[in-house]
Amino acid sequence: MIRVALTMLAGDRAKYTGLVLGIAFTSFLVTFAMSYFCGFMTWGFALVSENPGADIWVMDPAVESAEQTINLPASVLGRVRSVEGVLHAEPLALGMAEARFPNGQFQSFQVIGVDDVTLAGAPRLGAGDASVALRLPYAAIVDAGGTEGKLETPSEAVDLWPLGAPHLQVPVRDLEAGDDLLVNDHRVQIAGHSAALPRFPPRPLLYMTLSNADRVLAPEHHRVTFILATVTAGASPDEVAARIEDRTGLRARSAADFKADNVKWFIVNSEDVGDIGAMLALAGLVGFGVTGVMLYMFTTEHLTQYALLKAMGATSRQILGMVLAQAAACAGIGTGLGLGACAVAGSLAGQAGYPFRMMWIAPVLGGLMVMLVSVVAALISARPALGLAPGVVFSGR
Amino acid sequence: MPGALAVDGTEDVPPAVRCRGVEKAFGAGAARTSALRGVDLDVRRGELLLLVGPSGSGKTTLLSIIAAILEPDTGTCEVLGQDLAGMNERARALFRRWAIGFVFQSFNLLPALTAEENVALPLLIGGKPRGGALARARDALDQVGLGGRSSALPPELSGGQQQRVAIARALVHDPKLVLCDEPTSSLDHASGLTVMELVRNVVRTGERAVVVVTHDPRIFSFGDRIVRMNDGVIVGAGEPDVTGEGH
Repeated sequence: MIRVALTMLAGDRAKYTGLVLGIAFTSFLVTFAMSYFCGFMTWGFALVSENPGADIWVMDPAVESAEQTINLPASVLGRVRSVEGVLHAEPLALGMAEARFPNGQFQSFQVIGVDDVTLAGAPRLGAGDASVALRLPYAAIVDAGGTEGKLETPSEAVDLWPLGAPHLQVPVRDLEAGDDLLVNDHRVQIAGHSAALPRFPPRPLLYMTLSNADRVLAPEHHRVTFILATVTAGASPDEVAARIEDRTGLRARSAADFKADNVKWFIVNSEDVGDIGAMLALAGLVGFGVTGVMLYMFTTEHLTQYALLKAMGATSRQILGMVLAQAAACAGIGTGLGLGACAVAGSLAGQAGYPFRMMWIAPVLGGLMVMLVSVVAALISARPALGLAPGVVFSGR
Repeated sequence: MPGALAVDGTEDVPPAVRCRGVEKAFGAGAARTSALRGVDLDVRRGELLLLVGPSGSGKTTLLSIIAAILEPDTGTCEVLGQDLAGMNERARALFRRWAIGFVFQSFNLLPALTAEENVALPLLIGGKPRGGALARARDALDQVGLGGRSSALPPELSGGQQQRVAIARALVHDPKLVLCDEPTSSLDHASGLTVMELVRNVVRTGERAVVVVTHDPRIFSFGDRIVRMNDGVIVGAGEPDVTGEGH
């Protein structure tokens, strides 16, 4: 009877196509939205990802993510280094600064101060650039951090550091090594470009040594934001992190845990997450609406056929099985088409620089949601067929 | 009692259908309408019985009760030795599945299925393997003269051919009772006669009984007995020439 049900389904091509496309649309929207969300979250813990050598992140006990931080006293570095299982530990500083371009335009940057000696925390650099250049006084490596058009400096000499009013609407070009910025009235010279991971929310980045950062950032009593610790060979980051917390009273998280902390923080605090959640809900509702209506229409328009089958001895269970089989077939084909379309669209989105990351959970949850939508729609649409009196097939009815 | 006109108590072999004092009403309160008012009816094995009467006389209601689709409010109905009273919906469905074949006025073929798939439906509903069911369906189509059209879809067949497919479907699982609801009223005269000849053949072995609900006087001569209904009761029964309604 399953084959009969599928033949009935395929025989009504218009509704069959509508059902499959409706489900494909749901599958596409749900998976794309989730992959987009995963992409954003991956960008959200980019600072952690671009420091693979840091097994453990140590921070103030109140800090929950790399987005909202408060600094630590410099003395904690030695205390962390003294904990058993720590091979080495380096400081990392985060700060915000308004940088002025030579024509008077300004832009907010996140300043990332890395250890002067080891340069731990410095990003992967662009071709031809060397991180040792960071050790020059007031040197900085610049990165777009997922933004576009934020790192433009005047291309004409006449527009550089003009006397009087700023030259705002003038020809510009991208910042290059050797260009200058003014940060808190300190001249900072660009030493190169990095190929750091894009950020969420997107923001331009300035990588400097900790001592250079300390010079140009607004004065603070404490400068170090994180301690990046590497554990000895064979040691468990989780165990060493627990030991650091025990010995120092600070918060210590393995890199994996700190990434998860960042994701949780965004889910709780970011309005963008709510937007994506709304998009997911909308996708589910649209899919449920389209799938439910089409399946309901299909079933109700074939009620006489179901009545005939009931008259010939088909049980309600068989009828329900037929409707569910029809829904499952549409769900399977529609989900496959939706996932395929999502993979193609995601690949294009990724190439265009959008945060798209299709983790295994996205198609699995997308498939489950489509399955749920289809089963609920099938159960609702099966009701008229199940409640149908088979006598309607007789001419007098 | 009017229903007594349709009772035949002369046989030793139990009838295929034995209904006694069957009453059925629809609606409630002031809108309550009696469709059957104390119907007694026997249908012998090997008999082709025509159930005739004007619209609203209760023919289809009686057919639905014999088919185990409706339950009578009062009275009993025994079909093929099985008392239908007290059977739940599933038991009724299983009973219809093996015991009864149906032929409908509007053919009721599934348009997406081929002729052989339509014919195989009763076997597929009964859980028979598809290959064997289709082979039996092709045999049944051969018997109604449509062996060469087994792969045709219903819209590709004429009305007469579709009704012959429906007859093959009604017989493929070898039911002992075949119920036909206005089988010729959607057909031209020639096709109607062809269909009735096939229906007539169904009872030839003497094992099966056929009940045909019809308005069509052209086919009255095919019946062994004609039972006339009016206003929920049986008002006459007899051989076609006795009722005076043969053609």
